[in-house]
Amino acid sequence: MISETSASRIIEAAMSGNADFAEIFEEQKKSSSVGLLNGRTIRASSGIDYGVGIRLMAGTNVVYVYSCDKSEEALIKLAKEAASALKGGKSSDIKNIEALSKSSPSVLNIDPLSVSKKTNIEFLKEASDYALSYDELITQVAASYATSNRIIHILNSEGFNKEESQTRIRFSIETVATKGNEKQTGRIAPGTMRGYEYVNEYPVIDKTRECCETAIRMINAGYAPSGKMPVVIGNGFGGVIFHEACGHALESTAVGIKASCFTDKLGQQIASSVVSARDNARIEGEWGSYYTDDTGRESSDLLLIENGICKNYLVDDLGARRMGCKPTGCGRRQDFTYAPTSRMSNTYICNGTDNPADIIADTEYGLYCTKMGGGSVDTATGEFNFASEEAFMIRNGKIAEPVRGATLIGKGQEILMNIDRVGNDLELAAGMCGSVSGGVPVTVGQPTIRVSSILVGGREA
Amino acid sequence: MDKDFASEFINKLVSNAVEYGFDEAEACFMTNASMEINILNAEVSSYENSTVQGVGFRGKKNGQMGGSFTTEFDDSAIDFMLSTAMENCEVLDDEDEEFIYCDPENSHLESIQLSGNYNKNTYEKFSEVGLKLEKDILNLSPLIKAVDYLSVSCGTGPSVSVNSKGLYTYKDSDFISIFAEARAEKDGVVKTGGHYWFGKDIDAFDEKPFLETLRKKVLGKFGGSSVESGEYKVIFDSEAFVSLLQTFMGAFSSYSMQKGLSLLAGKEGEVIASDIFTLREEPMYEKALIKFPFDSEGVLTKSKALIDNGVFVKALYNLKTANKAGTKSTGNGFKGAYSSPVGISATNLVVTPGEKDFDALCEWVQDGIYLTELNGLHAGVNKISGDFSLFCEGYLIKDGKIARPVEQITVSDNFYDVLKKIIATGSDTISVPEGKGEYFCPSVVVSKMNISGDTGEEGEE
Repeated sequence: MISETSASRIIEAAMSGNADFAEIFEEQKKSSSVGLLNGRTIRASSGIDYGVGIRLMAGTNVVYVYSCDKSEEALIKLAKEAASALKGGKSSDIKNIEALSKSSPSVLNIDPLSVSKKTNIEFLKEASDYALSYDELITQVAASYATSNRIIHILNSEGFNKEESQTRIRFSIETVATKGNEKQTGRIAPGTMRGYEYVNEYPVIDKTRECCETAIRMINAGYAPSGKMPVVIGNGFGGVIFHEACGHALESTAVGIKASCFTDKLGQQIASSVVSARDNARIEGEWGSYYTDDTGRESSDLLLIENGICKNYLVDDLGARRMGCKPTGCGRRQDFTYAPTSRMSNTYICNGTDNPADIIADTEYGLYCTKMGGGSVDTATGEFNFASEEAFMIRNGKIAEPVRGATLIGKGQEILMNIDRVGNDLELAAGMCGSVSGGVPVTVGQPTIRVSSILVGGREA
Repeated sequence: MDKDFASEFINKLVSNAVEYGFDEAEACFMTNASMEINILNAEVSSYENSTVQGVGFRGKKNGQMGGSFTTEFDDSAIDFMLSTAMENCEVLDDEDEEFIYCDPENSHLESIQLSGNYNKNTYEKFSEVGLKLEKDILNLSPLIKAVDYLSVSCGTGPSVSVNSKGLYTYKDSDFISIFAEARAEKDGVVKTGGHYWFGKDIDAFDEKPFLETLRKKVLGKFGGSSVESGEYKVIFDSEAFVSLLQTFMGAFSSYSMQKGLSLLAGKEGEVIASDIFTLREEPMYEKALIKFPFDSEGVLTKSKALIDNGVFVKALYNLKTANKAGTKSTGNGFKGAYSSPVGISATNLVVTPGEKDFDALCEWVQDGIYLTELNGLHAGVNKISGDFSLFCEGYLIKDGKIARPVEQITVSDNFYDVLKKIIATGSDTISVPEGKGEYFCPSVVVSKMNISGDTGEEGEE
């Protein structure tokens, strides 16, 4: 770790020009992973990454430099180069570095990095063996496990001296069903900031069975119809639509330069009155959590939408300068090779009052997406598209035949206004979110919801 | 760290590995130096200048290859890499053997493709080019409200690799890229569009054609509406066709085939596409910005057809998959980063052009859809079965001419069916950077595809 005296000298060098703010971001990440295919271990890797990023701001201008070289001499040279490239602004005072404060949102009874790869492999093998013997249609099982410990240390010209340790585990099991030339997959990929006890307690056989069932159901399914129709989206990973179509558009990265469809909408209705949503980075042990963000600020539990009204944006320190408001502690980055930007953490639509079974029963005809895949969105226009990994038709208020290949298409603003039912079965699901500051762990989530009308792209006209 | 120090470090790593008990070993050192400026509102809003260096190690013991990586370069890093790689070897039970290779006649491989123009890539020069470009984009039309993203960046970095069989490889190259995304608004409707340029000499950047293309990509979208669902003849714009091809390129990898994840397995020598379609891999293609004389395993690359007049000639192999298949590596064993294992990638790909220019293709098609953008390719596709259902944008072709933009449509089909339905390629080849190298691809005409539009009515079946 960079000493406080070294840090002072580096910050001084960084502030020697026009900067009104300078920051040192030091990161060390230890990682370990294994991968199995059809029960055999085909991949095992371990590594340590270390690097330092130095960020300077002058007003809303930013200079970011980084290096793997941690010597004071090299970092001072880098800081001086950065200072000379920064335009605008006026020099500012440097505050004394505070005493180090440490935090961690991980709850570890058993440190995952202390668990041997052999144990990780035994866990995955149990799932693989079960899936391979589940049904002759299941022809392949891929399983992977990865864990890492990331320690970040942030020091800046405002005196910050914060360290946070983030230990995460993520594993995945993917089953492939084959029928002639056709292949369909079922997949689970949970993630946590709890210790290895999470893995020990995980109902792996039940979950692997669900994967196999999905793959087999989908291989036997016909194609989804196309056209506009009511769509019921299941809880958990269904929240990816809210994340993509609404969450990104509430980030100051977009709002701060007026490039979002939700620019200047605070206090206005942006969703139907049954919708409330939060971004809560402070859920202990949850995959997308952090207590200290990658700029050293305390994270928050932020109300984004309350009964349809836009309440808050996700604002990082640069966004705060652009928008003239306070940062919300959401500055995140994949690693030291990225400057931070405003990002989501655990983002979800809050519980409503409807019983999920009633939502289906009250839908005469439509699509029920039980498992969503990924998707993408244009935050300026709000246009998005998402693939469903498992879906069923709803006919006369009942779940009917499974269908595959359905894509949901629309505009975020319209979909939010068209949510007419919100269930009471909120669930969170782990994911990775890619944006300008790289890939960061996030959770998405929602209860079962119904959208009165979405364009479904399927193969049957 | 300079090249000599890097060579010395990895040589020491490899020789220590043999003493440590590995049967064979290889180490590579990769550097990535980059610079980027971003322009926003007539200012350089951010500047990045950085170097990342890392070492990847792989060691073979009892037929299993274990890997490790680090960004540290001292004796403790050597101990860490050797001990963890050995542990990884002990848990692996891969049936397929991975190889450390050296062709005695090609044991010393160098590829230096430095332009000699890299020293022109200064903060001042990039700022000047970027600021002018932003101004000129905004001047294209009063409808253009902002340039939400504009970057000018460059990268370079030597990579050196040695192994216990006597192989030494060294490569270095450089590039510059410019990307801009503009946002336009007309009667409350927002449209965005982006364009890119890449090259090796910043003075070779010609703003005029860049502006002209960007203008079409953004302003051409206004006034669009959907179309009735049905089957349409389709002209794929080069970029759109490349995005589709790239999504399914994994199917041409022998690894995917051997793992049962590609429908092309066992089809070498069979007809898989229309007889007018030829796709070649040209690692040393004259027009390509970066050429690939050898792969990451030290195997020489070669020019070859993947699809020759509709016939699937041969898959892409690295040493491991070639050994399993009883054939030779095709020189496609590449690793993406110091921390990655050797995978399989294509380099530069060339779709053989036809004779008609774009206008002649429209005239020939008479009525159909010109598809310019496919969205959500990472989500709305089944990479194994080839099924896709994608949100897309483009234009309606009527009476042999572009009639109007189309939006809110999805195209649903199957990649392998599309290959068979190709009826023409244009003479309008452009280069599209994608994957490891570039695609050289013209417009491609497909006889019919399922397009679902929004006819404004709630869909019943």
